[in-house]
Amino acid sequence: MNCILEGSAVKAFGKAIHALSRIGDELWLDPMLALRSVNSAHSAYAFFLFSPLFFQLYSLGSVSEQDPESIHCKLLIKSLLSLFRCLASIERNVERCQISISTSNDRVVIQFFCRHGITKTYNLCFQESEALQAVFASHLCPNVIKAPARLLGDMVMHFPVSQEEITLSMSPLRVGLRNYYEGGNDLMKNMYTEMSLHPDEFDYFQIGVESEITFCLKELRGLLSFAESLSLPVSVHFGAAGKPVCFSVEDLVLEAAVVLATLVDSESRGPSQPTKTLAPTTPRCVAAALPAASCEADSRKPQDLPAAMELIASSQGSPIIYPLAAADDATTPASSAICSLLFRALSSEQEDDACAVLAFYSDEEEDYTNSPII
Amino acid sequence: MPLSTQSQADDEQYVLVASLDNARNLSNLLKAITFKDHAIFSATPNGLKVTVEESKCLQANAFIQAEIFQEFTIREDSVGFQVNLTVLLDCLSIFGGSTVPGVSTALRMCYRGYGYPLTLFLEEGGVVTVCKINTQEPEEPVDFEFCSTNVTNKVILQSESLKEAFSELDMTSEVLQITMSPSQPYFRLSTFGNSGNAHYDYPKDSDMMELFRCDKTQTNRYKMSLLKPSTKALALSCKVSVRTDSRGFLSLQYLVRNDDGQICFVEYFCCPDEEYSCCGCLHLDVNGLLLSRRLEDVCCDVFDYLHLSFSPLCFQHLLH
Repeated sequence: MNCILEGSAVKAFGKAIHALSRIGDELWLDPMLALRSVNSAHSAYAFFLFSPLFFQLYSLGSVSEQDPESIHCKLLIKSLLSLFRCLASIERNVERCQISISTSNDRVVIQFFCRHGITKTYNLCFQESEALQAVFASHLCPNVIKAPARLLGDMVMHFPVSQEEITLSMSPLRVGLRNYYEGGNDLMKNMYTEMSLHPDEFDYFQIGVESEITFCLKELRGLLSFAESLSLPVSVHFGAAGKPVCFSVEDLVLEAAVVLATLVDSESRGPSQPTKTLAPTTPRCVAAALPAASCEADSRKPQDLPAAMELIASSQGSPIIYPLAAADDATTPASSAICSLLFRALSSEQEDDACAVLAFYSDEEEDYTNSPII
Repeated sequence: MPLSTQSQADDEQYVLVASLDNARNLSNLLKAITFKDHAIFSATPNGLKVTVEESKCLQANAFIQAEIFQEFTIREDSVGFQVNLTVLLDCLSIFGGSTVPGVSTALRMCYRGYGYPLTLFLEEGGVVTVCKINTQEPEEPVDFEFCSTNVTNKVILQSESLKEAFSELDMTSEVLQITMSPSQPYFRLSTFGNSGNAHYDYPKDSDMMELFRCDKTQTNRYKMSLLKPSTKALALSCKVSVRTDSRGFLSLQYLVRNDDGQICFVEYFCCPDEEYSCCGCLHLDVNGLLLSRRLEDVCCDVFDYLHLSFSPLCFQHLLH
């Protein structure tokens, strides 16, 4: 695989790396150019998908000998981050960036062609890894809000950087955001911040169920900063407490999302599906963590892949255009197109209310019926 | 100013008197070579040289010509002593080291000779402080025997381009490899860290390259820990000259402009890393990695311990 980025795309790519560094320690790089990461507790997952249009030049090269989808490079985010650490100097100095994967010696080669003829070449070791992909039915979420990144940025700005979790509440009359403290002790020590917005403030507002969800703010900040730098609107899909929340952005050449687990509301009965998860999680998000396993590449059946992969393949030929400008209805083909691009298409055996499915790594079809947890 | 009102008689006791209206012109330069506590001062009628060494593998010199000083009087051909550099720097910035324009600390540095302390008279805003720093027997600085006739490769770069590279260097790499060649990649800095390799290439026709004179391909590795202190000098400088000789020894010379726009020099000498140095034979793969290592008997111990005198020749071969 070989691709070339020019000008502002290099900075956007760097911003994506910064956003992913907030999520986990490792990054999965796939040749279609997808960057993914998951945190150690498996309660946060993020991906950035870049269409070929994002690049000046894009070719799969010798990788096409093998199935391109089978190469998944796992890198330490730390090493990539150090290349893109100072975005201001990248903007100033870097004219072109070339990224290629050399499977012969397990290296990802990143070259910066800078001003004054200076070239910087980095050969980063990677590990071949299983695929990382989370399945999340965002089109089935009852609640959707969409706003410019600026608005969401302004909302979270009121919370201190150290704030771990916040609670987003939604009712037909207002959208509220407040900070969340565990335990409820030390009432005197903490500062409580709460704000409300009227639904009119949002570009799009849809409420299916009144809910309050609590999720980790720190992991979200990276995406918000990314969205703000590119002036993209952010969509938020969520449901009742305990179900994951998805923050996503997209434009003609890229799309990105962060899927976060939310705290189960201990007072309500909660969804009926088993909430035990494979991965050990922090107490906060124990109930709603995204179940852990990665797909096993060899156990994938061919027919399971095409649904998602076909869409990706077609994106090489034509630009991915989502008519979201007119997305008044959450169930437009546009949003379901997003979902099936991002995640494996769900089988028809799904429950209508999708209670049985949170977000999990898709594998064979029978896994859906046997247990939602892989 | 108060310092100059000292009686003439006092001056006759001193073998060395050096005055600066702005002590920063000295302290900034000294900060660029402060990686060890002790420094060897060597003064001749041409000016002052301050030397700091690290385990006989690295040597840094700061040169301040006599013309930079407002007053520079020396009563012997050569005066040498050793002081604690950290203490000296603390004294030079005793008034707080603020950078308010127009306000500077004036310095008068006096040395009476062997066995006497180094006396500093510092004045700012009418307040005078006197500091006396104990001196020690000066050690003989190592003579790296680096002479311009032995230089095989030389480049002069504008510091701006190197500053960024040095600040980004992968510190998990034990060595910094420098490749200089009449053909591609011309001038390359390489690191080999935990997550992979990095190469910084400067082509010979880059507008950051002021001089490019490389006769044969040489690749040498230097311990990163030894070269790290040189980044301070790089940060202060506007130009840097990189030279290697036939043994692989490295000379980095930095042109520094002080607050008043005058030119001073800082120089670093570094031994190649014994295990990895290549005598100049090309054993490189496409990434500039050494395919084979030839154990060169580059022995750092064999030096002639000559008294290193300070001569104007040092300036002549700098930069051209």
